[in-house]
Amino acid sequence: MKFTKKTDGVFTASKGTARLSVLKEQSVKTVFFFAAFFAVIVVSFILLFLLRDGYPIFVQVGLPNFLLGPDWAPTAVVPLYGIFPLIVGTLLVTIGAMVFAVPLSIGCAIYLSELASPRTKKCLKPAVELLAGIPSVVYGFFGLIVLTDFIRVSFDIPTGETWLAASLLLGVMALPTIISVSEDAISSVPHEYKEGSLAIGATRWQTISRVLVPAALSGIAAAVILGIGRVVGETMAVLMVAGNAAITPDPIWNILSPLRTLTATLGIEMGEVSVGSEHYSALFGIAVILLIITLIINLSAVAILRHLKEGRTKGPAPKLLVSSATKESLARFFEVIGIAVLLVFLLAAAPWWLAAFVLLIPGAWYFGRDRLSQKHIQTIAFCLVGLATVIVLAILVIILQDIVVHGLPALSWEFLTQPPKDLGRAGGIFPAIIGTLYLVMGAIAIALPLGMGAAIYLVEYTREGRITRLIRTSVDLLNGTPSIVFGLFGFAFIVLYLNVGVSLLAGQVTLALMVLPTMIRTTEESLKNIPQSLREGSLALGATQWQTISRVVIPPAVPGIVTGAILSIGRAAGETAPIMFTAVIFSSRFLPDSVFQPVMALPYHLFILATNVPGSSTNKYGTALVLLLLVIGFYSVAIFVRTHFQNKARG
Amino acid sequence: MSESAIITTNNVNLWYHEKQALQSVSIKIPRNRVTALIGPSGCGKSTLLRCFNRLNDLIDHVKCTGEITLDDENIYAPSTDVVTLRKKVGMVFQKPNPFPKSIYENVAYGPRVHGIRDKAELDRIVEQSLRHAAIWDEVKERLNDSALGLSGGQQQRLCIARTLAVEPEVILMDEPCSALDPIATAKIENLIERLKEDYTVIIVTHNMQQAARVSDYTGFMYLGRLIECGKTGQIFEHPKEELTENYITGRFG
Ligand SMILES: Nc1ncnc2c1ncn2[C@@H]1O[C@H](COP(=O)(O)OP(=O)(O)OP(=O)(O)O)[C@@H](O)[C@H]1O
Ligand SMILES: [Mg+2]
Repeated sequence: MKFTKKTDGVFTASKGTARLSVLKEQSVKTVFFFAAFFAVIVVSFILLFLLRDGYPIFVQVGLPNFLLGPDWAPTAVVPLYGIFPLIVGTLLVTIGAMVFAVPLSIGCAIYLSELASPRTKKCLKPAVELLAGIPSVVYGFFGLIVLTDFIRVSFDIPTGETWLAASLLLGVMALPTIISVSEDAISSVPHEYKEGSLAIGATRWQTISRVLVPAALSGIAAAVILGIGRVVGETMAVLMVAGNAAITPDPIWNILSPLRTLTATLGIEMGEVSVGSEHYSALFGIAVILLIITLIINLSAVAILRHLKEGRTKGPAPKLLVSSATKESLARFFEVIGIAVLLVFLLAAAPWWLAAFVLLIPGAWYFGRDRLSQKHIQTIAFCLVGLATVIVLAILVIILQDIVVHGLPALSWEFLTQPPKDLGRAGGIFPAIIGTLYLVMGAIAIALPLGMGAAIYLVEYTREGRITRLIRTSVDLLNGTPSIVFGLFGFAFIVLYLNVGVSLLAGQVTLALMVLPTMIRTTEESLKNIPQSLREGSLALGATQWQTISRVVIPPAVPGIVTGAILSIGRAAGETAPIMFTAVIFSSRFLPDSVFQPVMALPYHLFILATNVPGSSTNKYGTALVLLLLVIGFYSVAIFVRTHFQNKARG
Repeated sequence: MSESAIITTNNVNLWYHEKQALQSVSIKIPRNRVTALIGPSGCGKSTLLRCFNRLNDLIDHVKCTGEITLDDENIYAPSTDVVTLRKKVGMVFQKPNPFPKSIYENVAYGPRVHGIRDKAELDRIVEQSLRHAAIWDEVKERLNDSALGLSGGQQQRLCIARTLAVEPEVILMDEPCSALDPIATAKIENLIERLKEDYTVIIVTHNMQQAARVSDYTGFMYLGRLIECGKTGQIFEHPKEELTENYITGRFG
């Protein structure tokens, strides 16, 4: 009797507030919807403002002339705005980077997914993530000081700032993306395929090369495309090592020629152009083209990956498009072409001994493979795969070691707490450290609520539909947008149009927009990992949706969200391009006292020291080290939070 | 058993981590016969089967003691080459697992990895294996289509053809019909009947009638032990052990 009465009470009480609670639910949902829709707004604003400022040049020069014109000379007496050499430059750097990065990353991915013991894997994966965490300006700095010098000496040329240097450096930067996505693809090939192949008596290597890798091929393709996107959108590193002459290499395969990419052009000229001029408009025209290229690249990778995921859950029955006979003849055809290209390339560009050596390998393979037993082939293959992994690790060690060894002597209490003197050659970097902290804290304060709101809307409140798809696509687009494009947008919209001026605030907003997609995705991931049964349990007790979300879904997702936030902070702290035109000044003795004043920032400080201030070697390395430590510190905390709470969740 | 044995196990014990899954199993598998392994779920049938081609090696922390010989050679000897072993001992899995390749490529995969390149020879092997597995007529028009587009029963017969293409001596089948309907099951049972002319077949099944129909010998396992093994007729009609009788008559647990 007593029990019934009590239930009754609860029931009547909720009936009384029912109207109110429905209203509350509705408004909560609306708020989240707007957070999610914000991504769509940002994308359209970016497009709008780039087009608005770039449009005049398309009218004036004409799109064909702009794209195909052979000369880029915006400051000549008769200015010429042809971006063809810049497009070619971007293309060549990308090709070079991929030639170098793809075999290395796939080898490393195979090692990680199939050969490494669980313990080795546990050590190696953070190493790869570390490679991804190094800020691009630090890569550029390393490239400028060490890599270009190495190339200058070994090829005996006047300057090492070349296509080769740019390709090598960007290749390294693309490694972590390609490795982690392909590793994922190979690891998620169903276990049955592996057993089926081994049960027939195939060797491990045959199983890997003929079953696992082919089955993972579309995932690997997506990995490579994402890597390409990374390379094409990169600004600071390529700007610092490519030499930046707006020419097409002569002959076209001359890897020791300098060249200039689309992004580098924006990075170099945007700071010096007068607003509203023809040149200004041409730069925005470049940004439009760049945006279109990277968007196509990234959306295709996203489409492949999404298709894969759906295919895996729904059980696919894909038709094979080409018969095995055509496939075979195609393979033969490409083999011949490949060898021919290699020959021409080597004879033209490399010293003869290198050519002979490189040609020896496929030659030996071609004639030797029938004589080798499968055992030996497996041994050779495993050695190569291991070698790839060792090279990747060696690259990481070399970079870290160089910066730590040269940077440590610069670190002192004064260096960390004093403003710079003599253009940064002496004194410290205190305002830059604080400026960077201000920038990232502001950025995360803006991006965290927006990102969480958007993710909650996408996961909890909506089914797949047209609006959701639009929002998702916008998030993907934002994610693929090069950071320099954010920089231009921030300049055109926040600094000029909203009349905020070059200021801390403009930088914070620009960075927030840039990390927003990361924020949304990581939050989405962690919300999706909460089992559906928890939600059902709560709803079955009569809790409203918002009660369920706020009390049952979000609390266990907090570690995931925090991880995402810290990763975003790390990313924001290392970025130069978005703040270069929106927030920073090179030298300032004082800290800003309002958000409307410009600040110093570590990555930009390093960039200027490295490129414009000769003879500040110790301070350069010191700045690089501090920046590196700061970013790596954020990343380590993120990784720690992730693993710590993962273990806890498992019990 | 008076017939000549192709596989003999002697006192085999196996542990997953600390958990013992096989306890002193000693069994003789006669050549060119069908041997069925029956027993309740979790009694170690699959584990025993996977010892015969050392597929258990794939799992971490597996410890195995005792002796298993194939044609009088110890397959757990350090000198044994697992690749050669698996070539001799083929396996068909519970869930059909064709590779995501064309039908042709699935069957040609085995011969290819064992070094056959000649196209005509491959064509011959593929056709012969598919015919042998009683699926040729259904797929001959679409050899270049993806194997994942076949029905479950067809996929399973394709996997059998894939195994046959390597010309093993022994074929292990782990509940090959559990995912199939009665018609597909009947087809596979007929197939097994014909296979024993050339091969030794070891089949794990939960279906008592199936064991009675297709096998010449039957082994009954319980909690990691081999309780009893003998001619199928004898096991089903006059089991020596009470456990076996209880299981076969469904009086269990
Ligand atoms: N990979 C593994 N790790 C740990 N224990 C395992 C593993 N595989 C099997 N086992 C255990 O070993 C025992 C025997 O398993 P096995 O798969 O051989 O049984 P089974 O007779 O084939 O059962 P079923 O008829 O259900 O297929 C079971 O208790 C199982 O829990
Ligand atoms: Mg089993």
